[in-house]
Amino acid sequence: MARNNRQPVGLYLASGWMALCVLAAIFGDLLPLPKWDDYDFENLAAPVFTPGHILGTDYDGYDVLSGIIHGARTSLGIAVTAVLLGALIGGALGIIAAYRRGWVDSVLSMYFNVSLAIPTIVLTLVLVAVFSSADIENPSGSLPRELILIVSLTFVVIPVLGRIARASALTWTGRDFVLVAESIGMKRRSILLTHIVPNVLPSLMSIGFLAAGVVIVVEGGLAILGVGTNPGASWGSMLAKNRGELSIIPHTTLIPAAVIALTVMALNYFGDYVRLRIDDRESRI
Amino acid sequence: MKSRVILSVLARFVTVLILVTFAITFLVRILPGDPVSTLIPFATEEQRAELSAELGLDVNILQYYMRWLGDFVSGDLGNYYASTGDGGGVSVSAMLGETLPRSILLMVYVMLFSLILSIPLGIFMAYRAESRADRTISNALFGLASIPNFAIGLGLAFVVGVKLNWLPVLGYVPLTESASEHFRSMVLPTLSLSVGLVATFSRLLRVDTIATLKEDFVTMASSKGLTNSWILWRHVFRPSSTTLLTSAALNMGSLIGGAVIIETVFALNGFGMLLTASIATRQYLAIQSLVALVAVFFMLFNLLVDLLYAVVDPRVASHRGA
Repeated sequence: MARNNRQPVGLYLASGWMALCVLAAIFGDLLPLPKWDDYDFENLAAPVFTPGHILGTDYDGYDVLSGIIHGARTSLGIAVTAVLLGALIGGALGIIAAYRRGWVDSVLSMYFNVSLAIPTIVLTLVLVAVFSSADIENPSGSLPRELILIVSLTFVVIPVLGRIARASALTWTGRDFVLVAESIGMKRRSILLTHIVPNVLPSLMSIGFLAAGVVIVVEGGLAILGVGTNPGASWGSMLAKNRGELSIIPHTTLIPAAVIALTVMALNYFGDYVRLRIDDRESRI
Repeated sequence: MKSRVILSVLARFVTVLILVTFAITFLVRILPGDPVSTLIPFATEEQRAELSAELGLDVNILQYYMRWLGDFVSGDLGNYYASTGDGGGVSVSAMLGETLPRSILLMVYVMLFSLILSIPLGIFMAYRAESRADRTISNALFGLASIPNFAIGLGLAFVVGVKLNWLPVLGYVPLTESASEHFRSMVLPTLSLSVGLVATFSRLLRVDTIATLKEDFVTMASSKGLTNSWILWRHVFRPSSTTLLTSAALNMGSLIGGAVIIETVFALNGFGMLLTASIATRQYLAIQSLVALVAVFFMLFNLLVDLLYAVVDPRVASHRGA
């Protein structure tokens, strides 16, 4: 297949980019760069390749490269936490629904369907409002914005991964080896843990990568709608903050946009890659 | 399809609908901040109680929901809260009349443009499967499908709007005011939302068409001496398009969300602006009606596609009916 030919190059590119982002997120502070929210009044709205500011600065004099590196921590942090929590909770609910069947399955499936009947962005908007402070004068008064985003996005990810886990677990609960395990008197809990969970994990992982991409995009969208993290703190809020100046300092918007696009591309590639590997494996079993 | 199947589909539809709207009511009621103290911050207790009763906020959530549902079903979306009581504010329907057509037009343009572009593209790729052209397009589409719509929108706004100065990047012109200006204002938003859909649709259609091309009836048709294009359009396209339909329905949700964001990027002041403004000002009733409307629309669209299956592929109907 065409896919097989392009796998090595694409995989190296995607892994390389993600490794760069993860390293930046973890060790970004060690780099000899200005702090991401340091005003540099000498260099306001500097273009790219200005000495001292390789990627330029925005109209506040914030260094764009530092912003991207700091944004990696915020954006990836939010995405990874929300997806891991979502996978843990959603995965557990989905597998329980598939294995217990009956009313448990009906209730959980109904919960997934109800959540999925509201488009992601709209649901996240409402959830962010629910978890935000009551005080309109001081909207960031109560919880940190990042925490509100993580909680809201986790609620959005749970039904997505839950439904996938349920569908995947259903195909495994009917397999002969599960029947054998049941007939030799294995406990339900150990059947779940040893036979079902390990087989559901790969498809959960595949969709998890895609979901991480979606979370990054939704976080960017929320920033554009004005309910993201504090201005400039994540990739999304960097471009949201600067998009009004697109005609004057385009690099401050286009660089974070490109970084988001590359990251989502890499995450989608991983998701696709894992899915192909699963298909391969399952056709051999 | 037998009527029993249709009935059970409808029953499930109504159940989910009631649960979704109730969940929205619940979420909106637990929103922090209450409208009464936002409207009349320095009022006495009596004045507050009076306004609260007038806005219908003094009842428990179940009563509140039932009252709202009755109004919603009869087409009354309620009014924006105003300090003068329920009747004083602008009606939500009036605000929708202003903003909703913009969003709906945008989504119609996006769907039409995406389908018109992706159907020939997908069939061409399947017809030339594994050729150099197919691989190049496939890889390009994979990349394009991953770029968030706002990144495409901002990129297009910069290149086409700012650098080349060909098209406006901000504002909306109604169709009735000037057709040419209307289409000019909609080109960039439509393109921003279409790129991802074209990529998704044509890749799906490619896979399905490749599968259909291997069927016996295609071999049969080509051995009868029918031309390739006749076979592709008359025999292959229809059975290959069911996944495309599902995908169009599933993508409706992300299209609605995408439209909300792209409208903001290009300042179209559509439904998305109405929703975000209502949330920012704690307009419970408006938020509730607007989100419910989105959910109903999204679910109806999915229901419609479910029923359309039978029309597109008669095999589905006979399987289900049997």
